[in-house]
Amino acid sequence: MKLRTFLTATAATAALTAAGAAYADAHGPMRIGITQNNVGVDSYQTTYEKAFIAAAEANDKVEVVVLDAGGDVARQIAQMEDLIQQEVDAIIIWPTNGEAVIPAVRKAHSADIPVVVTNSNIAEAGFDFVATFSGPDNITQGSRSAEIMCDRFKALGIEDEARVVQISGQPGYTTAIERQKGFDDRLPEVCPNVTLVETQPGDWNREKSQQVMEAFLVKYDDIDGVYAGDDNMGVGALNAALAADRAEGITFVGATNFSVGYEAMERGEYWGSIYQSPVDDAEAALQSAIDLISGKELPFLNYFDTPKITQDNMTEFTKPVF
Amino acid sequence: MASMSKADIGRFLARQGILIAFAVFIIGFTLANERFLSPDNVMGVVRSSAILGVMALGVTFVVISGNLDLSVGSMMSFSTIVVLDLHDKIGPALAIPAMFAMTLCLGAFIGFLVGYLKLNSLIVTLGMLSAIHGLTLTYSGGQNMDIVDKEGTWFAVFGQGSALGIPVPILIFILLAALLGIILAKTPFGRKVYAVGGNGTAATFSGIKRARVVFLCYVMSAFCVAVAGLIQASRSMGSQNTVGQGLELDVLAAVILGGASLLGGSGTIFKTVIGVLILGFIQNGLLLIGLQFYVQYVVTWVIIILAVWLDIAAKRGKLWSNIA
Repeated sequence: MKLRTFLTATAATAALTAAGAAYADAHGPMRIGITQNNVGVDSYQTTYEKAFIAAAEANDKVEVVVLDAGGDVARQIAQMEDLIQQEVDAIIIWPTNGEAVIPAVRKAHSADIPVVVTNSNIAEAGFDFVATFSGPDNITQGSRSAEIMCDRFKALGIEDEARVVQISGQPGYTTAIERQKGFDDRLPEVCPNVTLVETQPGDWNREKSQQVMEAFLVKYDDIDGVYAGDDNMGVGALNAALAADRAEGITFVGATNFSVGYEAMERGEYWGSIYQSPVDDAEAALQSAIDLISGKELPFLNYFDTPKITQDNMTEFTKPVF
Repeated sequence: MASMSKADIGRFLARQGILIAFAVFIIGFTLANERFLSPDNVMGVVRSSAILGVMALGVTFVVISGNLDLSVGSMMSFSTIVVLDLHDKIGPALAIPAMFAMTLCLGAFIGFLVGYLKLNSLIVTLGMLSAIHGLTLTYSGGQNMDIVDKEGTWFAVFGQGSALGIPVPILIFILLAALLGIILAKTPFGRKVYAVGGNGTAATFSGIKRARVVFLCYVMSAFCVAVAGLIQASRSMGSQNTVGQGLELDVLAAVILGGASLLGGSGTIFKTVIGVLILGFIQNGLLLIGLQFYVQYVVTWVIIILAVWLDIAAKRGKLWSNIA
């Protein structure tokens, strides 16, 4: 973390502390606005929204304005401006694009509205305008996926010759870039003789990933591992391999364990993933906003833990609801 | 055909410019990766293209009648989600007709607005694109739909089954293309579609019920979308709400690539099929070459423009137009 960022955040929160105590009496409930990325595109985001609204309703000191950008950068920027106009006490943003939303975040910062970035961070150029980031550490997730895969290869005794293909998330999307980076950097550290032969995007889309995997299967006779940026895409790849009768002997590792991934693990077809709860994610974001308004100090990168899940330890986790 | 004169060959080539373009790409990709034409790969591409293809068949009618349909992508998401949801609630035998009925209602509604109320099809279907997406999200509550018991159902046959060694999606695509091709080329209704799209006023004065023709084109398009949704649902046995998002543009690209005029009045089912295959093979070919994916978007566009250019050049017999 940059020291300057830390100081900015500390100064901002310190200034708010004085106002914080008298806050509830003078203003009524805290008003928190959220602009989400694309509710309904997958169950993670849908569950996130439900959990967020539920958490807000359970807390009568909080009033929330819930918006959804539908994956559209322009709409998200307009929503940010609306929230600034409404003079909410804090804004939570789930960026549609890590770069393009920076001016809007900056505008909120200039209007003295603290901004919490949730789930996937904005690009570094915008860090100075963000009070805190609440979400999973996607680089660590990518590294952990690489470790899961490498451990599996060692158990199978193929760590010196295994060949891996990668299906990444939507190009340009921070989560996709970070998970890919985590995986790309960590794999050669833990398994230096494993080859990552090709990476293509599956756009977070199961059907697209199935097509990408079909092409990989035609192109490469020997694939030992598939890393997908989330389980939704991982299951698409698995379906392609099953249809081609080549799923045996391929280690599938994903991230963001979805129920379809969990079920495939139960069937023994899918090896592992990263367990990430949208409920934890949503509650952490809301709590961060409440803490900021009440004047608490928060670290700039406020991660919640996302552990490894494989066929070996999956009974310790409840099946994801999304 | 044996006694074809030089002029006949020239005319034949001129009509089939898009086929020539298709052949050029196939040869190019095969040179780049010899597995491109392996039976497994060809079968895979045609199977993945079948969904887009089935939708494009219906849109061909709409485009020839002089209208547009931008709603087919969201409509496909709708039918996929509905059939998956109903599968577990009322069983596949009832879920499929129920889904078809609902999708046809959407098509009829659009057909009513464009045909009978004479509203601009671009505006109507662009609006329906987001309205139907909203409908799908409301219906599903935003949740992914999954068939719980994937083994114990015959529902998988439409997307994953095969008969005579050919995957069922391809068979459906071929049968539907043949059926709709005959309807368009050989029946009075087909000729009315061309007439309405070519010159609507003239068609009306010749006693053609223009509104009804347009209405039926949209119903037909919705029928094709329902078939596509069925294949999609059956292929993955589970789906996101956005499964068809953006497909409307690919569908339209395939139809236009096949040579149908956006102004209406021209196009054939056969050429649409070629357009669909070109798009499918481009996507697959670029993946096999292993081009970095940021570049793929650009290259796809370049290839489409080249195809359209070759088509037009073949029609006018030279590469450049004299009248600029």
